[in-house]
Amino acid sequence: MMNKWDIDGLAEKPTINADTEKLKSDLLTLNMGPQHPATHGVLRVEIKTDSEIVAHAIPHLGYLHRCMEKHCEALDYRGIIPFVDRLDYLASMNMEWGYVMAVEKMLGTEVPRRAELLRILTCELQRIASHLMAFGTYALDLGAFSPFLYAFDEREKILRLFEEISGARLLYNYIWIGGVWNDWTDSQIDRVKEFLDAFEPQTQMYHELVSMNKIFVQRTANVGVLSIQDCFDYGATGPVLRGSGYKWDLRKNAPYSLYSEFDFDVPVGTGEMGVVGDCWNRYIVRMKEVKESIKIIRQVMDKLEPGSVMGKVPKVIKLPEGEVYVRSECPRGELGIHLISKGGKEPYRLKVKSPCFTHTSMLPLMAPGQMVADFVATIGSIDIVLGEVDR
Amino acid sequence: MSTHTTIQAPAKPSAFKAYFAELFNGVSTTVKGMWITFRFVWGVKPVSIEYPEVREVLPERARHRLYNDAQNCISCTQCAMACPVDCIYISSEKLPEGSEIKKTSNGQSIRLKLTQFTIDTALCCYCGLCTTVCPTECLTHTQDYEFAQYTIDAMKYDYLAPDVVAWRDRIVNK
Repeated sequence: MMNKWDIDGLAEKPTINADTEKLKSDLLTLNMGPQHPATHGVLRVEIKTDSEIVAHAIPHLGYLHRCMEKHCEALDYRGIIPFVDRLDYLASMNMEWGYVMAVEKMLGTEVPRRAELLRILTCELQRIASHLMAFGTYALDLGAFSPFLYAFDEREKILRLFEEISGARLLYNYIWIGGVWNDWTDSQIDRVKEFLDAFEPQTQMYHELVSMNKIFVQRTANVGVLSIQDCFDYGATGPVLRGSGYKWDLRKNAPYSLYSEFDFDVPVGTGEMGVVGDCWNRYIVRMKEVKESIKIIRQVMDKLEPGSVMGKVPKVIKLPEGEVYVRSECPRGELGIHLISKGGKEPYRLKVKSPCFTHTSMLPLMAPGQMVADFVATIGSIDIVLGEVDR
Repeated sequence: MSTHTTIQAPAKPSAFKAYFAELFNGVSTTVKGMWITFRFVWGVKPVSIEYPEVREVLPERARHRLYNDAQNCISCTQCAMACPVDCIYISSEKLPEGSEIKKTSNGQSIRLKLTQFTIDTALCCYCGLCTTVCPTECLTHTQDYEFAQYTIDAMKYDYLAPDVVAWRDRIVNK
């Protein structure tokens, strides 16, 4: 029998159970967003619901499209950095680093060791801040308000540090071609140490408060399951891929910068609470990654030695003709920067491969057969930032 | 087409023991969470700031409204060229014949007469690239973040206007 939910053959076997089967009725088209608070920005999802069950979901993009890629074709290489900041505005440092690595690879710049270490330090701090945001808003989506406040309290401390070193709280323009803008003082490094010492016990509190909470587990376990094969088909990366149980982290598998010197684990979803690849696993992978980031930062602080933070870069940057593709591990997945130059001061093309775009395209796969409330949990679990989806 | 994982609904706890184990788990984890939140009632300092009365001390490098010290500007237009959003408008003209060539505070000679230096702060993205290229370090970020206006044209700040000096005295030299 033809499945009446299966509008374009996407859901061969919708994830339903016997209880929901008898609730079927006619389809109703419903718009979620673009201002729905649970959609993390301006994502609009057109869902077809069969009473309370989502039969079909289509994400509509473009509400935050700012022509960033086209703008970059008219800017010099230094002027692009504030624009890549605005891709994933919750992890600007990682975005800058991805772009800067592409330019440095074409330019053949040697980055001083201290600058590389400071980049790792800032980007891992940024990863913690970004995952705290993911944790807080995910709990908020599922109806718990206080974890959000605790997460923002800690995130604020990281942002304060970033404000001191770069001058801005969100869009830093800190990682420059050839190094970093400002050096960290010793007292600032000590403050990172203090922050980590105070923050590490907090992560245990988050687990007690949210991760192991029965209500939270019931809402997220067995919801929005993605198999490894699905992730491969769609090209998922980051916590979404690792939540499905596949051990893949660019920092480990294709180490860039100085990541090969550091000792850390790559957490994967194990299916403690439900099936591997469900919302709970994606969530817990992020929380475990925070701990790994703390581990990396502690090692960075031991290795830091005084030195220059800026390599030799020409005053006017002109790249040779050619193209380069650079991947880097961002909090939300692999960021790919494809930079094509025809010589001259501006790039010919700057293509951004965004992990959030890939994960958004997986929503129609996960949605069929879910309750509407579970769909909210699913959107929260892939942790998308619309600035990066639309660019 | 991808193989979509089908999940079966978790088996209902038929056994009496399993049912109560589930119940205990639910109650204990909820109470634990409530206790954590309850602990924050006493002995925890509030982290929020009551803004207009209490103001945050901004770090030295904070990037807020730009300020150009027109006395030291040599009209080199490097800031306008570095700006990724083109929000700096500069125009200058040649000094009249025989006039005295002034020096900036760091010893560069001013060979052009600055006739306009306007920054559209509504366009500005506060990236700080213009301040890094300035050869005389006359263009700097200040810590003034309260400059809301009723019209968008009012966001254009002319740094040759006399009222800018009063603003500078309030913010920069405090």
